[in-house]
Amino acid sequence: MSLVFQSLVLGVLLGGLYALLAAGLTLYFGVMRVVMIAHSAFLILAAYLAWFFNRETGIDPLVSLLFTVPIFFVLGVTMQRTLLSRLRPATLTMMSVLLTFSVALVIEGMLGFVFSGTQRRIRLPYGGDSLELFGANIPVVKLIAFGMAAVSLLALYLILKKTPFGQALRATIQHPEAARLIGINTERIAGYGFGLGLATAAIGGTALSLDSTIYPSLHWHWIGPLMAIIVVGGLGSVPGAAIAALVLGLGQSLLQIPMGTTWAQTIFYVALFATLMVRPQGFFGGRLAQRF
Amino acid sequence: MKVKTPYRVAGLAAASCLALTACMSSGGDDASGADSDTITIGISLPLTGDFSEPGKGVQRGYEAWASWMNENGGLLGKDVELKILDDQSNADRVASDYEKLINQDGVNLVFGPFSTRLVVPAAQVAQDYGFLFVEPAGAAEEVFTQGFDNLFYAAPAVAQDHYNNLADAIEAMPDDERPETAAFAAMDDPFAMGTAYGLRDRLDEMGVEIVVDEVYPPNTTDFSSIAAKIADSNADMVVGGTQYQDAVNLIVALQQLDYQPQMAAFSTAPTNAEFAEAIGDKTEGILSPTGYTTQAEYPSNTEFVEYYTELNGTPPGEDEANAWTTGQVVAAAVEAVECADPDAECQSQLIDWLRENEVETVVGPLTWDAEGRPEGAHLIQQYVDGEIKIVLPQDTAEAELIVDKPNW
Repeated sequence: MSLVFQSLVLGVLLGGLYALLAAGLTLYFGVMRVVMIAHSAFLILAAYLAWFFNRETGIDPLVSLLFTVPIFFVLGVTMQRTLLSRLRPATLTMMSVLLTFSVALVIEGMLGFVFSGTQRRIRLPYGGDSLELFGANIPVVKLIAFGMAAVSLLALYLILKKTPFGQALRATIQHPEAARLIGINTERIAGYGFGLGLATAAIGGTALSLDSTIYPSLHWHWIGPLMAIIVVGGLGSVPGAAIAALVLGLGQSLLQIPMGTTWAQTIFYVALFATLMVRPQGFFGGRLAQRF
Repeated sequence: MKVKTPYRVAGLAAASCLALTACMSSGGDDASGADSDTITIGISLPLTGDFSEPGKGVQRGYEAWASWMNENGGLLGKDVELKILDDQSNADRVASDYEKLINQDGVNLVFGPFSTRLVVPAAQVAQDYGFLFVEPAGAAEEVFTQGFDNLFYAAPAVAQDHYNNLADAIEAMPDDERPETAAFAAMDDPFAMGTAYGLRDRLDEMGVEIVVDEVYPPNTTDFSSIAAKIADSNADMVVGGTQYQDAVNLIVALQQLDYQPQMAAFSTAPTNAEFAEAIGDKTEGILSPTGYTTQAEYPSNTEFVEYYTELNGTPPGEDEANAWTTGQVVAAAVEAVECADPDAECQSQLIDWLRENEVETVVGPLTWDAEGRPEGAHLIQQYVDGEIKIVLPQDTAEAELIVDKPNW
């Protein structure tokens, strides 16, 4: 019984992290119909920057967010304006896979070149600490990562719902032509939307770096599950991705008890196939995703 | 049977190419054979791709060995020259590399590449040409079950035997000190599983209850649920059949759940310099098997560590040491039978000699069984007072084995 409760707690924490890591991915698709294979490579890049910052200064890696979030935002806007907006709209989705795949390879190669293939880990004084709750241990670092996910997703939700920029972005997502007709500069908005997505990668990567060992090719292990999450959640829907991430994270953690690690991982792909067969627009995508 | 003309032409062309290369290769043999004043050794290594890190380590070891040989009178009085190709960690590529080294370049001898996956296809080529094949890294059982009669693994023990010294020590413990339960987690990888299962089977035989036996795929990113299972079992001993990052992640996840085993053993990772940096001051008492340590007092090892450190600025690691060992093993055979020719007669003499003799190396004296398995065991190291030290077997121990691990 205690094992089930412990796994439940760990599953929720894991799901929160998945939600944060997947948020940007679903945003890119929503805004631009871009399948961003390089998203997880940017996560690892942010994790490396957090590790590097901590190694050089000795300050807590969370402080590196002050630099990485703005840098990633600018990087996202630049990448959208100079690379992705050049793709022909008719083949955008397909060609973006190729383009961002190559970006992922460039990032991986660069990380290997600069930091070597050695596997790194940030050593935190509270890395092995945990709080006890009804007999279950809650690892402090995982709790921090979960908190970061909750705050960022809430902020993202508020930006999208409450600000004029968010309204313009949602208008661009829902109907680009109509948005242009009412005077929204959809190209600029799309650039900012992409920047916003990459900024979540900076936060996600830093959260990841708190509790994992990183190496340049690690991003290939992440992109599959993250893609599955956004499809199940409904492409383009941030709340959908968050719910799907929690459900799948929890499912993985609980299934691991009877089935073992290898089979528990397949939950992502089983969910992906089931979604595509039963409800191709995703479970929370609603009107938006139905158009695809 | 009617065969289409293009195929017949292609077949003819292929046949004539084969005939031509046969002529060319015998010509090559003459050029670099017994009469010339250098001995060329052909090697293919994964210098790029998945295994590039260890591959480069093996390369450094081979190169250091060659330059040491040349400074110390050479092999049979001739200079040693290495011909190293890059197989890009690719199993198809490694086979064609050895094919080329033996057939076109007419090398006198070959040394093995890195890792089980590349050793098997490479050894097959060497076998086809009757070449002696000593290899520095291919410890998994499947290397020795392919029916090779030319293969020798130049390290103290195969994967299954890595923990033998620890198993012996546990067996020798009085009943009340011996762990009663053990939890196992192993990566789905022939080497990592081999190490853990060698110990698991021994513990099982002596009546230790195996309460968790998990296998996880190499791409596992989250170890908290495996850790939860192990913590829930509250096993006296935890053993990880691990590489590097999985061991570090699993150990931290276990610490987060406040699981305190009496013994903790993990393969590979703890001997890595990065390990202590990643885990911090919570390494005390962690056990690990190792095939090599710079501290070992075998006569040639002191010489090797000194020479290598001077040449490269850093002390050698296990990959470098196993490469050097490969050189020592082949050199011992060559000096003993006094030949280093690519022809089948000389190569089979080399093979026969190694079957029957013991070779003194930097990892200790080595002997092999009929399939090429080395017949030793790995040293067991443990973190004692913040440093990794040999604790088993007792005659080479630098520190006392900590039986009851302090909390991490």
